Amino acid sequence: MKSKSLQLFVLPVLAIAAFVAPMLLGGGGVVYSAAVLIAIFAVMAYGLDIVVSDLGEVSLAHTVFFAAGSYATALLSTRAGVSSAWLTLAASIAVALACAGLIGLVTLRLREFVFSLVTYAVAVVAMTLAANWAFLGGSDGLRGIPMLDLSLPGLTLTARNDRELWPFAFATLVIVIYLVARFRRSALGAAAIMTHLNPRLATMSGIDPARVRLQVFLFSAPISAVAGWLYAYQRAYVSADVLENYFLILMLTAVVLVGRRQLLGPVAATALVLVQEKFFSFGGNVDKIVLGAVLIAILAFFPEGLAGLARPLARLRHSRREPIQALTHTLEN
Amino acid sequence: MTFLQQIINGIVLGHAYALVAIGWTLLLGVARLVNFGHGQMYMLGAFVSWWAVTKAGVPYGLALPMAMVIGGLFGLVMQRIMLKATFEQNLVSIMIMTLGFGYVLNGGAAMVFGSTGQILETALSTREITLGELWLTWQDAAIVVAAIAVFVSLKWILDASRVGRLVRMVAEDPKLAMLAGINVRWVYYGVFAFEGAAVAFAGGMVAPRTPILTSMGFDEVIMTFVVVVLGGIGSVKGSYVAGVALGLFTALFGALVSPAYTTAAAFLVLIAVLVLRPGGMSAGSAAGVH
Repeated sequence: MKSKSLQLFVLPVLAIAAFVAPMLLGGGGVVYSAAVLIAIFAVMAYGLDIVVSDLGEVSLAHTVFFAAGSYATALLSTRAGVSSAWLTLAASIAVALACAGLIGLVTLRLREFVFSLVTYAVAVVAMTLAANWAFLGGSDGLRGIPMLDLSLPGLTLTARNDRELWPFAFATLVIVIYLVARFRRSALGAAAIMTHLNPRLATMSGIDPARVRLQVFLFSAPISAVAGWLYAYQRAYVSADVLENYFLILMLTAVVLVGRRQLLGPVAATALVLVQEKFFSFGGNVDKIVLGAVLIAILAFFPEGLAGLARPLARLRHSRREPIQALTHTLEN
Repeated sequence: MTFLQQIINGIVLGHAYALVAIGWTLLLGVARLVNFGHGQMYMLGAFVSWWAVTKAGVPYGLALPMAMVIGGLFGLVMQRIMLKATFEQNLVSIMIMTLGFGYVLNGGAAMVFGSTGQILETALSTREITLGELWLTWQDAAIVVAAIAVFVSLKWILDASRVGRLVRMVAEDPKLAMLAGINVRWVYYGVFAFEGAAVAFAGGMVAPRTPILTSMGFDEVIMTFVVVVLGGIGSVKGSYVAGVALGLFTALFGALVSPAYTTAAAFLVLIAVLVLRPGGMSAGSAAGVH
């Protein structure tokens, strides 16, 4: 009960603080650009988070869903002249669902490393397709994506720059976090965890693991695609580099850095990585080494993530209080 | 280009694929480990060979062992860091860590060797063998000979030597092997050092055929997946056959259909194999190395 009321109070305060943070930090273009990218990449990472943390499978194809959102948006807005971002949003989700359905059906019976291997291959093939296929802009990519326009009848909602894009990126992030929290409390979320931790028990309880895996996969893909949709508007052009390994490594780091199944873990981790890259950069190549090394070090030495580091401290505090509690307990009896 | 010329290209390419994949075959068969940094280790081998030959003036014959030592050391470092996860068979962590190692190598190579493409020319790659209308370079011939030599000796070591017996025992049941007094840890180290050295050797051998780029490993690793899966996980002989078959397939596909989409075509082969024989691909059934 106590933790729930705490959540009700703390989460809105955190959200408001996060929303005004770019303004408090000077409100410069660089700050807003970093804030928008943090929100976008965190959304992208939440898509992978539920597959890795809840389902326990490593999908390496989530960059493809991210790219699917970006490319669907770019193609519709530059080739078909679609100006409403609601339409490109719907298309992004539809394309991601189609990709995820296809990949999901092919990999339905595959598990563990074979699943990861195939999803990695999907990402590499998608990269060669994007770089060579003229329909997708080839190596030049697609340029001239218009500004984000989510206007409704009687209400103008547009974003011409990162400062104006921030409220939309922030709102998307909040919605996605809410969806992930809902997922974890849903029947599907419980089934996913059970399939992950105890597949035999899951089967005995009448859960079909293959079905659960496919459903979670289908739920996760549009989340990463929505990030790609926003990213297309943020950058105003899309090319094959949205499929680069950077996004994959960033997503994986976001999932494991703070700790798995921590609701705010991916956004906190994304913020840490992006702040380092944007404000304390050592140059592109060294940043790559830093990001890769952080990912390795966390998994090798702190498998529970940064949250796991805090646990011994909490236990220390706890154990100091415990003897007294135990004493009062015996006295009461 | 004649059909026969494509067959020759395919055979050379196939031996190159097999040579690149051999370390992974052993790694997967013995330790049930996957290495998503494999492609980047291949890139490292190619760059070290290039650097040794063109910058340090080392003869090509010495540059290859240098690349192998560096590749082997890198493999040892990887295994040292992943040892705990290896014993726990924590595949999720291992896969993500190897991706991280690949990414570190990518950044490191761009920093040390620069991010522009390079060409490695050796005494073998500039001379050609011509047979009527057909031709191949001496480097191509060397790749075929080296691949056959590596496969035959590995097969012999696994089947007939004491070390091979230990490795096979660890592959089949690491816990039982430990009870029997085998130092499983050293076998894992050895397998990973072999993986690093073998793929670096392959990088140094194959590098003269293609431009050397920091991104070259990204595509190459797909071919290794196909070889390992098609050949049957842990099978040395199967990998060789699968490598040559894949080489012939990609050479003909590249010549007859489209050279830009050979990776995509190889991927479709992978999917077809997985859908046709899904039972043989699970981690549990990767029993042993042979």
